[in-house]
Amino acid sequence: MAESKKKVKKKSVDFILLITTISLVFIGIVMVFSSSWPEAMENHGDGYYFLKKQLISATIGFISMMLAMNINYHYYKKFAIPIYLLALLSGALIFTPLGVEIKGATRWLNLGFTTFMPSDAIKLGSIMFFANFLANKKEKIGTFIQGTIPALLIIGLSCILILEQPDLGTTVTLAATLIAMFFIGGAKLRYLLGMGVGAGFFLVYAITSEGNEYRMERWTTFLDPFSDKLDSGWQIVQSLYALGSGGIFGLGLGKSRQKFFYIPEAYNDFIFSIIGEELGLLGTLSVLFLFFILIWRGVVIALKTEDLFGCYLASGITALIAIQSLINIAVVTSSIPTTGITLPFISSGGTSLLFYMASVGILLNISRYTK
Amino acid sequence: MRTPNKSIKNRLRFALGVIVLIVAFLTWKLFYIQVYKNDELQKGALEQWTKGIDIKSDRGVIYDRNGKKLAVNIPAYTVWATPADIKDPELVAKEIADLLLMDENEVLEKLKKDVSTEKIKQWITREEALELRKLSIRGITLVDDSKRYYPYENFASYILGFTDIDNNGLDGIENTYDKYLAGVPGKIVKTTDAANRQMPYDGEKIHDPQSGLSLVLTIDETIQHFAEKAANQALLDTKAKNVSILVMDPITGDLLAMANKPDYNPNTPREPLTDAQRREWENIPADQLPNKWYEVWRNFAISDVYEPGSTFKVVTAAAALEEGSANLDTHYYCNGTVKINGVELKCANWYNPHKDQTFAESINNSCNVAFVNMGRNLGKEHMLEYIKAFGFGEKTGINLLGEQGGIIPANTDVIKEINLATLSYGHGIAVTPLQMLNMFSTIANGGNLMEVRLVKELIDEEGNIVKSFEPTIRTKVLSEKTSNTMLNLLEGVVKDGTGRKAYIPGYRVGGKTGTALKIVDGRYAPGKYIASFGAIAPVDDPRIAVLVVIDEPVGVYYGGTIAGPVVQNVVEDTLNYLEVRPKFTEEEGELLKENIIVPDVRNHKINEAGKILSDLGLRYTTEYQNITVDSIIKDQFPLPGAEVINGSIIDLYLNERPSLITMPDLMGKTREEVSQILDELDLQYTFNGAGKVINQNPEAGENLNKDTNIVIELSEG
Repeated sequence: MAESKKKVKKKSVDFILLITTISLVFIGIVMVFSSSWPEAMENHGDGYYFLKKQLISATIGFISMMLAMNINYHYYKKFAIPIYLLALLSGALIFTPLGVEIKGATRWLNLGFTTFMPSDAIKLGSIMFFANFLANKKEKIGTFIQGTIPALLIIGLSCILILEQPDLGTTVTLAATLIAMFFIGGAKLRYLLGMGVGAGFFLVYAITSEGNEYRMERWTTFLDPFSDKLDSGWQIVQSLYALGSGGIFGLGLGKSRQKFFYIPEAYNDFIFSIIGEELGLLGTLSVLFLFFILIWRGVVIALKTEDLFGCYLASGITALIAIQSLINIAVVTSSIPTTGITLPFISSGGTSLLFYMASVGILLNISRYTK
Repeated sequence: MRTPNKSIKNRLRFALGVIVLIVAFLTWKLFYIQVYKNDELQKGALEQWTKGIDIKSDRGVIYDRNGKKLAVNIPAYTVWATPADIKDPELVAKEIADLLLMDENEVLEKLKKDVSTEKIKQWITREEALELRKLSIRGITLVDDSKRYYPYENFASYILGFTDIDNNGLDGIENTYDKYLAGVPGKIVKTTDAANRQMPYDGEKIHDPQSGLSLVLTIDETIQHFAEKAANQALLDTKAKNVSILVMDPITGDLLAMANKPDYNPNTPREPLTDAQRREWENIPADQLPNKWYEVWRNFAISDVYEPGSTFKVVTAAAALEEGSANLDTHYYCNGTVKINGVELKCANWYNPHKDQTFAESINNSCNVAFVNMGRNLGKEHMLEYIKAFGFGEKTGINLLGEQGGIIPANTDVIKEINLATLSYGHGIAVTPLQMLNMFSTIANGGNLMEVRLVKELIDEEGNIVKSFEPTIRTKVLSEKTSNTMLNLLEGVVKDGTGRKAYIPGYRVGGKTGTALKIVDGRYAPGKYIASFGAIAPVDDPRIAVLVVIDEPVGVYYGGTIAGPVVQNVVEDTLNYLEVRPKFTEEEGELLKENIIVPDVRNHKINEAGKILSDLGLRYTTEYQNITVDSIIKDQFPLPGAEVINGSIIDLYLNERPSLITMPDLMGKTREEVSQILDELDLQYTFNGAGKVINQNPEAGENLNKDTNIVIELSEG
């Protein structure tokens, strides 16, 4: 190991990836500021409230990214198990009095000085742990007993804590990310197909089971949001109004009308529609293509990594960013039912920004060891 | 070291391929939403951002033909609230409720509504508006508004109609010309957030309203007044259900007046107008009241059809002359009845048959038997042709709600011999008063059936004419010659015939009377009559055509007797107003001087009495239906010995004349006391004002009968 390590000469980081990430974070700061202004004025009496928070998060995120960029990613392999356990522990803390319940879901921990979203930690921790698992089992991944069954257990364990919050959107994102890693790691297609069918059944259950009628409503609303545009269809109709009224060039930065309480919490899940309203098709396509460049660089890094763990880790991080960003944009454009997940790097939210920037830092670090 | 193998790399590339497809799909989707669906979504978004308060446009004024204002707007203010802008609804509700004398909870409810704007109160007074402006409450807006006002109150109600609280025309010309009168409302547009608060963009935009066009009617306010006054008097005199008086300029087809009584006040169309009505309406359940309103709003002159009776003989006579099936030398013989297929048709004067008559005498006498023969000679084809040519059976096209076309035979096949016979004297056909008037106009103007004109022109705020409506000929019905002949014949009816009571010395008036049993629910209603009188004056240069229709008079019901004096009244007033100078003939001058002593015909049989009076150059009427040749005259008016001018009419009574009552002294009494006293005596009366009696007419001690209308003036009038 030590020998091989010397062989690999450290290169400079993937510059395109770095620039792309910083661009997205920058767009995020500007758009959080613009879209949060009315609500910040209304609820906090300070129009800069969310801007300040986002600036702080971005600064911490940037420091984390720089740190991660310089921490040899091989340490994560070594500490994969403790990291994973720590992440699970933070997830379990939600069910203690530390958990903060907002609108019927407990997704945050109150740490006194700040709130923390354990699902973000679980996402990164699971990816590291799963990458380690895949790298260790390399040849046996395709088998049923030694590969598929343990993989399923890991996926299940990682997701169960998030599902129980409850947070179906993030559960689906994480499960899809881990399955994507499993696929890349060499899973037998017939088992994957079986898992796909299983996941399908699970989704149908999650939507139709008692106590979760809101999920069913989201589905029917997705089919025709305008049929109930004042109630269940409100969010998605408002999102389409925002995108539609933006047209090609947008109303101009800061000039969104929809952010005035037509789109609730415009700086969160639906920030992409405010981008569409203010910056038009040019703005939305730019953001979409920045994400694509980011994903493309992530895949390139994974492809060029000679180390199996590094390859899986890069794939996992890239898959997470790809899946969450594309699902978010798909929701906002009414291409899939509403799931309630944020747009990475752009939506307001400290923990999310911190972990995503750190994840990119890890990717950047991996890029140093590529051929 | 374990390195990624080829399979891993292929799967990574495959995954990237999937991502490319998804990104491509999302790109297409964004194009679809932001470019293709752009207009539609933008419209939806704009609709929810912009909220508007309407600014009403000024409604056009309605003028009479001389520029007198019949319907105007008076300023009023409406209070609106934008609930989202109100910080402390409880306090605001209290302030407003106190100032505008409203219920506090009701106001509070409105202020708390989840709407962008809510109307608090419409039409507050100027003083209230000033007070409210002083308070300057955030979220409360005062909008200048206007209210429709009809300065002459219950006057020309059936022409003007009325509007609702939002100034939409509901009836009359207000309704049918609403699109011109209404104008285009303006708007105050705000962009608001989801909680209906003003967004920090654009500010308010105000789109100015566009005023409506004003109407100039063909109605002459003065002539309308004559008609209203005469109709009111006739209603009181005859105790009829309805009286309708129509005046037309026959040359242009301009309607100069159209009065129906009883009527309503367009300022308060849902309020009873008389005490009797008020008492009746008080006992009606609320859900039945609208039926009463519709009854009151019904325009008798165009919405009700009646069997015209003898006035229709003008059509038969004109058609016969025009077609040459009869001429002035034609003679008709009447022995009181005529038999058609076994059915005996009676002449009104069957007890004293007309015997041999010229064409002119047949009309003067209004002899049914003569007209049955005249119609028979004319033939049913020509009969129907002229009925249609005179515009019967179709609407005149006057632009008012609820006009009826009347009922005429559908074709000649349904006109049997008996039908032709009765049609000749105006039975078996239903017409509206307006159609009848238009027929008289056609006779008067040289034979042209005119479009009835009610609106002369539309003018804008500066008085520029935007659109004018010209007189239009619908049908050429008669030749000039027939028209002139008819005019002379109709003059004869007033001079020497049944229309004598419309005679005005100095004016050459032509006309024709008519009386017919009313048809109620498809059957003749015994004892219910419609008396009518159509007139043209002056016949040498026709200026007006007048029709008086009296629906269900009580007592005397002959058109000539009860409608004649009304026509006389309206024609004389109108001709004076139109500055038509009276021209007395020598004969008239002498007649005016020559007085006759009224003979005593009491205790004579009716036919003997008639002969005595006729020989002296007097005429007579009786008010009873069931007359036999043996009926004995019990009383007469004027009484024997009175001096009257040649041609005067003596009323003959088969019963004792009603005994006279002495007018009681009512001065200083309250309205209630007066009602009690007069009701006891079974007298008719009207009140003016409220409070105590300060004047009474007739005065105490005067003799009066049950037909006299007593007018009581109260203090605080």
